[in-house]
Amino acid sequence: MSSLNAKIQDVFNEPACENNRGKDAKARKKGCSKPLTPGAAAGGCAFDGAKIVLQPITDVAHLVHAPLACEGNSWDNRGTASSGPTLWRTSFTTDVTELDVMMGQGERKLFKAIREIKEAYAPPAIFVYSTCVTALIGDDIEAVCKRAAEKFDLPVVPVNAPGFVGSKNLGNKLAGEALLDHVIGTAEPDDAGPYDINILGEFNLSGEFWLVKPLFDRLGIRVRASIPGDARYLDVASAHRARATMIVCSTALINLARKMEQRWDIPFFEGSFYGITDTSEALRQISRLLVKKGADPEILGRTEALIAEEEAIAWKKLAAYRPRLEGKRVLLNTGGVKSWSVVHALMEIGIEIVGTSVKKSTPEDKERIKKILKDENHMFEAMAPRELYAMLSKHEADIMLSGGRTQFIALKAKVPWLDINQERHQPYAGYDGMVELVRQIDLAIHNPIWRQVREPPPWECRTAVEDEPPSSKSKTATVQGFKKFAGTTADDFGEC
Amino acid sequence: MPQSAEKILDHAPLFREPEYRQMLAEKKLNFECPHQDQVVTDQREFTETWEYREKNFAREALVINPAKACQPLGAVFAATGFERTMPFVHGSQGCVAYYRSHLSRHFKEPASAVSSSMTEDAAVFGGLKNMVDGLANTYQLYDPKMIAVSTTCMAEVIGDDLHSFIENAKEEGSVPRDFDVPFAHTPAFVGSHIDGYDGTVKGILEHFWKGQERTEARGTINIIPGFDGFCVGNNRELKRLLDLMGVSYTFIQDASDQFDTPSDGEYRMYDGGTKIQDVRNALNAEATLSLQHYNTRKTLEYCEEVGQATASFHYPLGVQATDEFLVEVSAISGKEIPEAIRLERGRLVDAMADSQSWLHGKKYALYGDPDFVHAMARFIMETGGEPTHCLATNGTKAWEDQMKELLASSPFGKEAQVWAGKDLWAMRSLLFTEPVDLLIGNSYGKYLERDTGTPLIRLMFPIFDRHHHHRFALMGYQGGLRVLTTILDKIFDKLDRETSETGVTDYSYDLTR
Repeated sequence: MSSLNAKIQDVFNEPACENNRGKDAKARKKGCSKPLTPGAAAGGCAFDGAKIVLQPITDVAHLVHAPLACEGNSWDNRGTASSGPTLWRTSFTTDVTELDVMMGQGERKLFKAIREIKEAYAPPAIFVYSTCVTALIGDDIEAVCKRAAEKFDLPVVPVNAPGFVGSKNLGNKLAGEALLDHVIGTAEPDDAGPYDINILGEFNLSGEFWLVKPLFDRLGIRVRASIPGDARYLDVASAHRARATMIVCSTALINLARKMEQRWDIPFFEGSFYGITDTSEALRQISRLLVKKGADPEILGRTEALIAEEEAIAWKKLAAYRPRLEGKRVLLNTGGVKSWSVVHALMEIGIEIVGTSVKKSTPEDKERIKKILKDENHMFEAMAPRELYAMLSKHEADIMLSGGRTQFIALKAKVPWLDINQERHQPYAGYDGMVELVRQIDLAIHNPIWRQVREPPPWECRTAVEDEPPSSKSKTATVQGFKKFAGTTADDFGEC
Repeated sequence: MPQSAEKILDHAPLFREPEYRQMLAEKKLNFECPHQDQVVTDQREFTETWEYREKNFAREALVINPAKACQPLGAVFAATGFERTMPFVHGSQGCVAYYRSHLSRHFKEPASAVSSSMTEDAAVFGGLKNMVDGLANTYQLYDPKMIAVSTTCMAEVIGDDLHSFIENAKEEGSVPRDFDVPFAHTPAFVGSHIDGYDGTVKGILEHFWKGQERTEARGTINIIPGFDGFCVGNNRELKRLLDLMGVSYTFIQDASDQFDTPSDGEYRMYDGGTKIQDVRNALNAEATLSLQHYNTRKTLEYCEEVGQATASFHYPLGVQATDEFLVEVSAISGKEIPEAIRLERGRLVDAMADSQSWLHGKKYALYGDPDFVHAMARFIMETGGEPTHCLATNGTKAWEDQMKELLASSPFGKEAQVWAGKDLWAMRSLLFTEPVDLLIGNSYGKYLERDTGTPLIRLMFPIFDRHHHHRFALMGYQGGLRVLTTILDKIFDKLDRETSETGVTDYSYDLTR
């Protein structure tokens, strides 16, 4: 555990994090995880965070060393897409039982489980996750993994992020550490070239990275490793030979990006594929970094040409939605990069942003939002479900874009809602993805059910029941939602 | 031979064994003078083109795969909805066997009906003797409380007069003088089963109401459901809603118990149905409401003649249609719609909102009885779907106009087309040339599903190849939930199928939808 503590301290002390730089030594030591409030609703644990980050590596067997529930409850719960292997979706767990706990058989069981996976599936690697129970009873998964790796001649990677050590975000970072300690740099590619890049924090939700990858292909840029979306173990293991890194979800893997820069001199920048100008900016930055690292500068010109062509197509497609969406009011309730990158494109077609949360956004994100929105009042930190409900039921927005956990606040407040987080079913990245997002907003806002949702039953707005003929349309004004929203279980909003 | 006592194969795999394949192939080759495979393929592909569609729609004399049944089927169904009533079809007995098997295969229940078994001599000399003997035998053998007479084409072509025949039969003592024998002329060469239903219900009401004094009972309502393959679920659901409201009502023609008898060791030739006394008293009701307008046009006219208020609906299904029905019932009965029903409505709306993204923009082809198609088109538009093809073989010009009006009321009906009087072979061309996401109809749609690959949802009589659907309501808010779920299941099943190929399409084979 002492090594785990040291690791956590190390992760907390992240110099690339602007928040962290602003703190004094004492505050820094306390860490950046917000202390959890007992009794208040909370989001996922460190184990969940670690698993979310690593699980999309598709050809790896992910073995959860825990009683059944840790894996059982999280099995296949993310909509990330694989272009081939399916092993990552198979659920492996040691299913630790009472007897295992009492007799201290956890380590032996884990070792056997690793052997059985090796024999049955022969994957390129096995990732082993520690959890609350196995960490508490003192199972040394690092030692077991080390021994198993030697015995079976196979990478067996310990992911030491038991749930109780902290938040989901901490787990994200610990997963990055596991990759640094055990995976990245363990294989040498025989085809490293000057146009190789890494993408960090891209999860390939609904396969959305596939909307972006063709752009790189056209520029002759090779994605050495996309971590973790649709990744293969060997790609990740040889990621240290890339020339540049783009980090997409900064809060999740910033430590990984910085340490790769430190160790292997791979420069990184933070960007986004959400929104048109942001996609273009990301392509520009990548080309610039590659040139800085020795690529032929002619790529800059080709990048501009591609951007001009693609932007023209995308804006043209989006313009078609202007008549339908102009003046519509959107409330963005998510975090991180999406808060500013989507805003710009939406505003371009006349959509009004009535609010955007900046819960997970960096100070830099916030600056950009301020610049785009020209009004700070539209920015809010985390909004409590009660306030959110109040705002929505006053019809201050025509649609809310958020994660699945706040969807019912919108729906019960009679406001259309669109999922833009991990459980969504449409890809929104890149130029085509932005068009798809706008199309989905259009569909959601214009679905006829909202009229039914907002209007009371026809008999409630009739004064004299006997006198009026039945009518399909009620003629009275919309009755405001008067019931108070009772539940406050949706605190953990956006995720990347 | 591949069949052996140790491992008996079902016929489906059995005839795929090499011996049988060879046998069938040789039969085809040696005795059927088949066209070459390529010729067959070419012809099949031709039937999928716009060119073929135009020829298909130019048909004048030939009907291929009609989506309707004949008047006497409706008459038999109508008769089964009354207390201890034996449907008696005057004409040839073969027809009646069809009605019985049709109803029995759909409801998975016995269906009793008799005929006067007319033969060639009856055709020449008239069917009076058959009527006289038939009524007598039915009365003696099956102990009915009422015999409802309808006709097949044969009796209609020779022009038998039911009224005088029944009078004659009573004269001759086939049945007691005061025994109830209502009747309706139901020639199959006019209209369809929904008209047979209409005529029979009207005939029964006339029989009991004619010449009677009407003293209006304020606030009481008669409900006529119309020909409905889902009567078992629907009637019970509607009664539940009316009971919740505390409305005083009579269900006129209620086959929900007749076609859902329990297995408890007792064979019920008759079960449930509207009580004869209730039919008599129904004359005094303030209003008669029909749940299916096109099933009850003549009946409602008659109800107006006797002085009742009337209103008709188109299979009240979904949010707005159910709203309208309940509001009307509330207006007539003076009873308020209670909180419990308001909550049910809210739950349906909530469910539709939860699933809206999966339904938005889906295209449908619908066929069935006119009121049902109207109801489904309306509900689909409520969910943001497009009822691209709305077809009713027994739809009239009036229906067509009404459908167009409905479709014009929503942007989701803008592209929709109405096909009155067309058959399912026409639907086949429609599905090939202007494809849709889902087909809603009855079991006969399975051939369209096979040929065109359009997933079929069975929500219309008859459903022969799936069991027990008719036990669940489609009408009302609860029924709306059922229809919604059925449509969604089809969409998700299809999506799962299309995304299930390992390592190829399974990137969206999602656990959570």
